[in-house]
Amino acid sequence: MAILLRDLLRHSPEFRIGAVLLAFVLLLSVLASFSPYPPESVYVVPPDVPPSLTYWFGTTSRGQDVFWQLSFAIRNTLLFGCTVALISRLFALVIGLISGYKGGWIDRALMSVNDTFIVIPLLPILVLFYFVMRDRISWLMLALIMACFGWAYDARLIRSVVMSLKAREFTQTSLFSGMSTRQILTEEHLPYVMPIVFSTTMNNMVWSIGLEVTLAVLGFTDINTPTIGGMIYWANQHTAMVAGIWWWIAFPTITVVMAFIGLFLLALSANAYIDPRSRLWSVGEAS
Amino acid sequence: MRANVQQPHAPQDAQPILWVRDLQAHYRTSHFGVRRGVKAVDGVSFAVRRGEIYGLAGESSSGKTTLIKSIAGAIRPPLEIVGGSVEFAFLPGYGGLHRAPPVDVARIRWRHLSYIMQGSMNVLNPVRRVESAFVDFAYPHIGGSRKQFEQQVVAHLARVRLDPSVLAAFPHELSGGMRQRATLALATICRPDFIIADEPTTALDVVVQKEVLGMIRSIQRETGSSVLFVTHDMGVHAHITDRLAIMYAGRLVEEAATAEIFRNPLHPYTRHLISSLPRIGDDTPREGLGGSPPNLADPPPGCRFHPRCPLATEICKREVPAMLEADTGHRVACFAVNQGARA
Amino acid sequence: MSGYLAYVGRRLGQFLLVVFIGVNIAYVVTHASPIDPVEQSISAVTSFGNTSPGAIEQMRNSLRELYGLSGTPVEQYLLFWKRILRADFGPSMSAFPTPVGTLIGRALPWTAGLLAVSTIVAWGLGNLLGGLAGYYRQSRGLKLMGVIAMGLHPIPYYILAMLLLIVFGFLWPVLPISGGSAMNLPQTWTPEFVLSVLQHAILPALSLILIGMGSWFLGMRSLVSNVLAEDFVVYAELAGVRSWRILTSYVMRNALVPQVTGLAMSLGGIFNGAVITEKVFGYPGLGSLLVDAVYAGDYGLVLGVTTISILGVSIGVLAIDLLYPLLDPRVKVS
Ligand SMILES: Nc1ncnc2c1ncn2[C@@H]1O[C@H](COP(=O)(O)OP(=O)(O)OP(=O)(O)O)[C@@H](O)[C@H]1O
Ligand code: SF4
Ligand SMILES: [Mg+2]
Repeated sequence: MAILLRDLLRHSPEFRIGAVLLAFVLLLSVLASFSPYPPESVYVVPPDVPPSLTYWFGTTSRGQDVFWQLSFAIRNTLLFGCTVALISRLFALVIGLISGYKGGWIDRALMSVNDTFIVIPLLPILVLFYFVMRDRISWLMLALIMACFGWAYDARLIRSVVMSLKAREFTQTSLFSGMSTRQILTEEHLPYVMPIVFSTTMNNMVWSIGLEVTLAVLGFTDINTPTIGGMIYWANQHTAMVAGIWWWIAFPTITVVMAFIGLFLLALSANAYIDPRSRLWSVGEAS
Repeated sequence: MRANVQQPHAPQDAQPILWVRDLQAHYRTSHFGVRRGVKAVDGVSFAVRRGEIYGLAGESSSGKTTLIKSIAGAIRPPLEIVGGSVEFAFLPGYGGLHRAPPVDVARIRWRHLSYIMQGSMNVLNPVRRVESAFVDFAYPHIGGSRKQFEQQVVAHLARVRLDPSVLAAFPHELSGGMRQRATLALATICRPDFIIADEPTTALDVVVQKEVLGMIRSIQRETGSSVLFVTHDMGVHAHITDRLAIMYAGRLVEEAATAEIFRNPLHPYTRHLISSLPRIGDDTPREGLGGSPPNLADPPPGCRFHPRCPLATEICKREVPAMLEADTGHRVACFAVNQGARA
Repeated sequence: MSGYLAYVGRRLGQFLLVVFIGVNIAYVVTHASPIDPVEQSISAVTSFGNTSPGAIEQMRNSLRELYGLSGTPVEQYLLFWKRILRADFGPSMSAFPTPVGTLIGRALPWTAGLLAVSTIVAWGLGNLLGGLAGYYRQSRGLKLMGVIAMGLHPIPYYILAMLLLIVFGFLWPVLPISGGSAMNLPQTWTPEFVLSVLQHAILPALSLILIGMGSWFLGMRSLVSNVLAEDFVVYAELAGVRSWRILTSYVMRNALVPQVTGLAMSLGGIFNGAVITEKVFGYPGLGSLLVDAVYAGDYGLVLGVTTISILGVSIGVLAIDLLYPLLDPRVKVS
C-alpha cells in the first residue's frame, strides 16, 4: 500500500494534484472540530463583514463566520459522499460478483434491472421523494436513497472483471478443489476486484455530492444541517450575489470544486495504474 | 517430411532485395517507475534474394515477430530500434523504413512491400465491409475506374478460391479460413516485390493450411515476389521455403538452403529441432532438450544457447559466437562447429 | 434481418422494464409518506383563496386516485397505473384549473429542444476533439484541452450554471440570463422571437455542453488510445492507408461504438443536469416546472413531470438503441 502510494505520487501528476487538492479540503473539514461556534447558531458574529484578518472568509448575512461554517459544511458533505459510496459499494459488489460469476439467466435478469437503474433520471424521483417527505427528510435517509440508485454503473464494471477472471484457470482449479461459490467469490475474486472498487468510490462520491449540492441549493434537503449546498441555499435566500456578499458563495463553491476535481483526479490515476494498456503511453511520451 | 523438401526455385546467384545488418530491437517499458527492457532482437544479419521464399524459424518468443516488425517498419512503443540497419532495394539509402521520410514509406507500402500479420484474424476493420479494405489498401496503387478495380479484385479473390460475395460481408461473418484467404488476397493484389508473412497458416486446420500454402507458392511464382516467411512449424518450412534461418533467443544461429538444413543441420539447437520432428516409421523416443528458453529481459552472456547446449565449453559462456560460413551458403553461429571454418 | 428483429425485441423489453420499474418507484415513493398528503395539499391550496367547493371535491378525488388512497391496495395500484397510462394527472393545483397535462405539454418542447441540441453538440464535438486528442497525442492545444476537460467534467451542473450566470449576468452582462425568450415578444414564429429564443438558450445550453463535452472528450481520448493498438489499425498503417482515413474510418469509427452505448446510459444524468440548469436560468421547461411545482405544493404536477421524465428518457434510450446496429454490425448475430 505504501509502495503503491509512493509510485503514484512519484509518477502520476494527476495523482499529485488530486492529492494536494483533497488534502486542503480534508484539513478544512478536520478543523470543524475546533470551531468556536456551534454550527447551527446564527448571529454570533457581526453580519456581512468582508474577508479580513479576524474573519478570514468574511461573515454571512445570518451572522455566521464563513470559515467555520464552511468547515462544518465540507465535513458533512464529504461524510455524505462517503456514506453513499460505502453503502452503494456493497450493492455494486454483491450484484456485480453474482451476476458476473453466475452468468446465464441470473446475469441477464440482474443486468436488466441494473440497466434500468442506470437509465432512470434520478433527480425528479428525489424531488418527488422530498415532496412527499418534506421536513421529515433527513441526511441519512437521503444517503440511503441515493445509495439505492448509485450502484448500477459500477456493478456493471465489477461484473465484467469477474467474467474475465472466471475464464481464467484458477477459478477452475478452485472449483475442483471443492470451494463454494461464496468462497470463490470472496477469496479468489474479491482481491482482483478491490482496485476497481476503490477507483469507483471516488467517482461515486463526485456523483452523490453533486446531486446533494443540487438538491440542497433548491432547498430540497434538510437545510438546517450545514452542507455546501445548504450554504449556497441560504446565500441565495439572502440574495447574497446581488447584495455583493460574494464571499458567502465564492468560498463554498471553490472548496467543493476542489473536492470534485481532487476526487476525480484520484480516480483517474488509480484507473491508469490498474489498466496495463496505459503503460504503453507512459513510455511513448517519455521518449 | 524430410522427403518433401522442395528444391530451390530462385536462382542461387539472384541479387538480394533486402539486407538486414546487425539489427537490434528492444522493448522498453516503464510503468509507474518499474522499468523493463526486453532484448527481443539482438544483432541479426541476413539478406533475402529476389524471387525466393526465405524462411524464419524458431520457438515461441524467440523474437521472430519482433524481427519482422522492425523490418516492416511496424515500430511503435514500447518497441525501439536500438541499432543496425534494414535496406530494401526499392527504398535505398535510408537504412530502414523507420528512418525514411513518411511520404516515401507510404509510396512503397503495399505497392512494393506487403505484410501478413500474425493472428490475422483481427486485421480487418470489424465495423466495415471487406470490400472497403481492398479499396483503402489497394485502390490508391492500382487506380483506374472503380468498375475495373472491382473486376480485378473479384478475379484475384477467385485465385484464393473466395466467392465475390465476401466483399459485401463483415469480417465477423467469415470463417477463420475465409478471413485468412481474404487477408492473403489483400496482401498480394498489388503484386508487391516483397511479402512478409508472419505465421499465416498457424491457426488453420491441416487441409486448409495446405491449400493456403499452395496459394502462396503459386502467387509468388506468378508475380516473382520475394517472401519472408515466418513460422515455428518446421514442417511448413520444409514444404514451402527455399532458404531457412533459425532464430534462438533474439539471434540467428544458422542459415542455409532449406534442403541443406534438413539434410545437414550443424548448430546443436537446429539439430535438436530437426531430430524432434516426427518421422513415419521411426518410433525411437525423442531426446528432450533440458532447461527452458532464456528470459530475454536478462539473457545469458556469451552464446545464449549455452545453458542448454550439450557441447558447451568455457568460451561459450563468455563470448558471442559469430555467424560464419561453414560451407558454401551455410552459415552457423557456434564455436564447436566453426573451429575450422572460414571467417 | 431476424437477428435485427430479435435485437429490437430485446431493446423494447428493456424499455418496458424501465418504464415499469420507474413508475413503480414513483408509486412506492409516494406511498412512503406517513401523513395524508391529500388533505395537506388541499389545505395548502385552499388557504390561498376562494376555490369553489365543487372544484375542491374534483381535486380531492383526482388526488386520492393519484396518491392511490381509494379502494383496496390492488385497486389503488391499478388506478395509479390507469391515470399514468392515460397521462391524466388531473388539474394542476398551482394553476387551477389548467390540467397538468397542458402545463407539461407547454414545457416539453423547451426541454426537448434544449436537451436535444446541447446533447448532440456536446457529444459530437466532445468525440471529435477527444478523438483527435487521442490520435495526435503530442499536440499542445489538444493536451491543454484535455486539462480543461479534466477540470470541467467533475463539476456538477449547478455550479457551472451558477458560474456562467455570475460571469454573464454580473461581471459582463451581454447575454440574457433568465427566461426562454424576451417577455415582450408574442410566442409566434417571427424572426425576432426565434432570435430571442436562441439568445436565451445560449447560457443554459452552454452549461450543458461544457460539462457534457468534458466527459465525452475524456472518454473518447482514452478509447482512441486503446483502439490504436488494435491489429486492424496497425495493419492499415502498415498498408500505407492515409492517416486521415485511418483516423476517421478505422480509429474513430470503432471508438464511437462504446460512446453510443455511453450516450444511452448517461441520458438520465444529462436530464438531471437539464432540470437544475433550467431552474438556474429560469428556462420555461420541465425542470423549472418541476421545481416550481414543489414550491407550490402541486402534487399532480410533480408526479406528472416525474413520470413524463422517466418516459421521455426511456424513449430517448430506446431510439439510440434502435439506431445502434447501424454503427455496429456485430449486434445482429450476438
Ligand atoms: N509489446 C511488448 N512489450 C514487451 N515485450 C514484448 C512485447 N511484445 C513482445 N515482447 C517480448 O519480446 C519477445 C519476443 O516476442 P516475439 O513476439 O517477437 O516472439 P515470436 O518469436 O514471434 O513468438 P511466437 O512464435 O509466439 O509468435 C518475447 O519475450 C516477448 O515477451
Ligand atoms: S557456441 Fe557453444 S553453447 Fe553455443 S551452440 Fe555452440 S557449442 Fe553450444
Ligand atoms: Mg510471433
